[in-house]
Amino acid sequence: MNVEITDLTRRFGRVRAVAGVSLQAGPGVLGLLGPNGAGKTTLLRTLATVISPSSGRIRLLGRDPGAHRQRREIRRRLGYVPQNLGYYPGFTVVEFVEYFALLKEMPPATVSRAVASTVERVGLGDKATAKLRTLSGGMLRRVAIAQGIVNEPELLLLDEPTAGLDPELRVEFRALLRELGQRATVVVSTHLVEDVGSACARVALMDRGRVVFHGTPAELSARAEGTNAAGDAPLERGYSAVLAESRS
Amino acid sequence: MTAAPPAPTVRLRRSAGVPLPGARRLVRLELRRNAMLWLLPWAVALFGLVAHRTGAAAPPLWNVRAMSMQTGALAVFVPTVIGAAAWMGSREARLGLTDLLTGTARSRWARHLASWAATSCWALAAYLAGVTVLYAVVARQAAWGGPLWWPAAVGAATMPALSALGFAAGVLLPSRFTAPLAAVGVFVTLELSLQLIHGGRSPLQVLPVVAGPWELGTDAGVAVFHPYLPDLPVVQLMFLAGLTAALVAALGLPAGSAGPRSRRAAAAITAAGLLLAGTATALAGTGRLDEHGLIAIPALHSAAGDRPVPYTPVCSTTAIPVCLHPAYTAYLAALAARLAPVLSDVAGLTGAPVRLSQAATVYEQGPGNTVEIRMAAPRIGGTPPVLHFLLPVQLAGPTMTVDQAADAVRAEAGPALVATVIGDVTGPAQAAVTAALLGTAAPAADPATVAAARRFAALPPATRHAWLLEHLPALRAGRLPLARVP
Repeated sequence: MNVEITDLTRRFGRVRAVAGVSLQAGPGVLGLLGPNGAGKTTLLRTLATVISPSSGRIRLLGRDPGAHRQRREIRRRLGYVPQNLGYYPGFTVVEFVEYFALLKEMPPATVSRAVASTVERVGLGDKATAKLRTLSGGMLRRVAIAQGIVNEPELLLLDEPTAGLDPELRVEFRALLRELGQRATVVVSTHLVEDVGSACARVALMDRGRVVFHGTPAELSARAEGTNAAGDAPLERGYSAVLAESRS
Repeated sequence: MTAAPPAPTVRLRRSAGVPLPGARRLVRLELRRNAMLWLLPWAVALFGLVAHRTGAAAPPLWNVRAMSMQTGALAVFVPTVIGAAAWMGSREARLGLTDLLTGTARSRWARHLASWAATSCWALAAYLAGVTVLYAVVARQAAWGGPLWWPAAVGAATMPALSALGFAAGVLLPSRFTAPLAAVGVFVTLELSLQLIHGGRSPLQVLPVVAGPWELGTDAGVAVFHPYLPDLPVVQLMFLAGLTAALVAALGLPAGSAGPRSRRAAAAITAAGLLLAGTATALAGTGRLDEHGLIAIPALHSAAGDRPVPYTPVCSTTAIPVCLHPAYTAYLAALAARLAPVLSDVAGLTGAPVRLSQAATVYEQGPGNTVEIRMAAPRIGGTPPVLHFLLPVQLAGPTMTVDQAADAVRAEAGPALVATVIGDVTGPAQAAVTAALLGTAAPAADPATVAAARRFAALPPATRHAWLLEHLPALRAGRLPLARVP
């Protein structure tokens, strides 16, 4: 298992953003669903080794992120696309991706080729030398994805990656997700259940800091059977049914 | 976006050390996109306007121009470098990249070091370019001596220190207001700190904008007859190295900045840097005004710094030669022209000096911040006698043109020169002759004396000289009545 979380809790003062989550994930795409404030972003930040857990045990790629050397090894193999993308406006697309490739300590000899192919891969080949300040929101999103995947991560964490992408790009992105999921563990936090339906092999639903469902998209859809859960699609209805059940 | 192209196979390195080529590429990237790069035109314009123009107005002496690279030039670079570095230091948090960057393998300290190094490189390049231009100009204008490297070295060492200070401010208080506030704050603090320097013993002399005794400024009289003392620059370099090391290492102290070993190293470097900076500050506090006009620090002082620098004076071809230190050659022609008439009149007379020679200055700390500057030699000394004088630029006075300086020397040394032959003015005949030789009004308001002075001045030089040769003993003795003055 590339992700092993046992009884993970993360507090911010008195607020428990993540409350006793246990989760395991191997290669493939895991969709992380949940309403606003459910703790998805906090969980992803913890998995990205940005913040450390208040309690609980976590192992990523077979290593302990609490130990410095092992955390560094994890980070070399990690891709992370946060929800709110910050960027250096004066950098070009290539420079920004190269910057992250270097920060991920990729072997210098491979950096240039990896950067070039990744920029092509996210469809920004013709904008490679454009300054980031000149790009649209959707293009910036693609830059964010590019920096996340430039090192061919074994664990890729995506927080709302399709926000701001147009439908055509979203479809392409789902294809990319499926492709990446064949070799790596991809955890995608999203509000869009269609992303989950088309790209994720498994789905975890969070609410109030806890994982209230963990299974396949089909199993989530099935949870709506026999209920009056709201939603236009089976997955949405399953989502609503599980949330209603957990809150009752 | 496509999943089609196969990604290159990436082989991850297992080494725990920072890979140098990668780090170098990071610095190269930071160099290309550094805020200091965009502030360079501003720095160059300010340097040209403030430092270069001010320096160009000063006499073309290596000491004055070189010391201005510490005083005027640094004042230009302080706000610029601090602002740029603070902007870079606050960049990650200001632009919301903290999470994204924290999740990368290279430590925050390593990232900061790369960014600080790039900022420092640009600042240093700009400063060194300024030094090069200024020194190239001085090399064409200066008549004697060579570049003084100590002030330039202190200025150069100031760039990474300023960069570290600004960067640390940006990291600690990441906001868009940090850069302007830090730039103005440090500049004002620096300038205010200078006002607290009293005498030669202030620890604040360790500040790099101090290029010598603060009350003297860049005095044209120092570091010409005697070597430029490295005492204060050495202490300033120690201080700057310590400060830079401490600030840069302190960036690696917070939890999560680097690995445990690196943080321990950062703590050790911070402590060593603070110790070095503290020692330098304490040493600066033991400084004293050296008699040659620079700050001497007893613990670092070498006796070699007290030995005069050998030189061959440049002399005029007037009846009595006027000799200057070759560094002041620019003043010779004007000075010789101003003094030539009186030199012709007194040449060959009993008591007349064989030469007028520029003397070195001696500096003495007075009460508070005052400094007494006097001549290192007696007015008349030696056998045969030599009359010594100072140029106004040696007295830390107001800036003068060459002609103004020559007039001032004539006004000051002329009466002494005439007195060597006429003696002290005790009677009207001496007063009239002295006034005539100096071309000034007779000191007494007596119309007869004034008329005699005018008459004597109107005589042809040869007649005047012949009369003086004949009547000098009586004139000196005060026995010559006014009516005998032709």
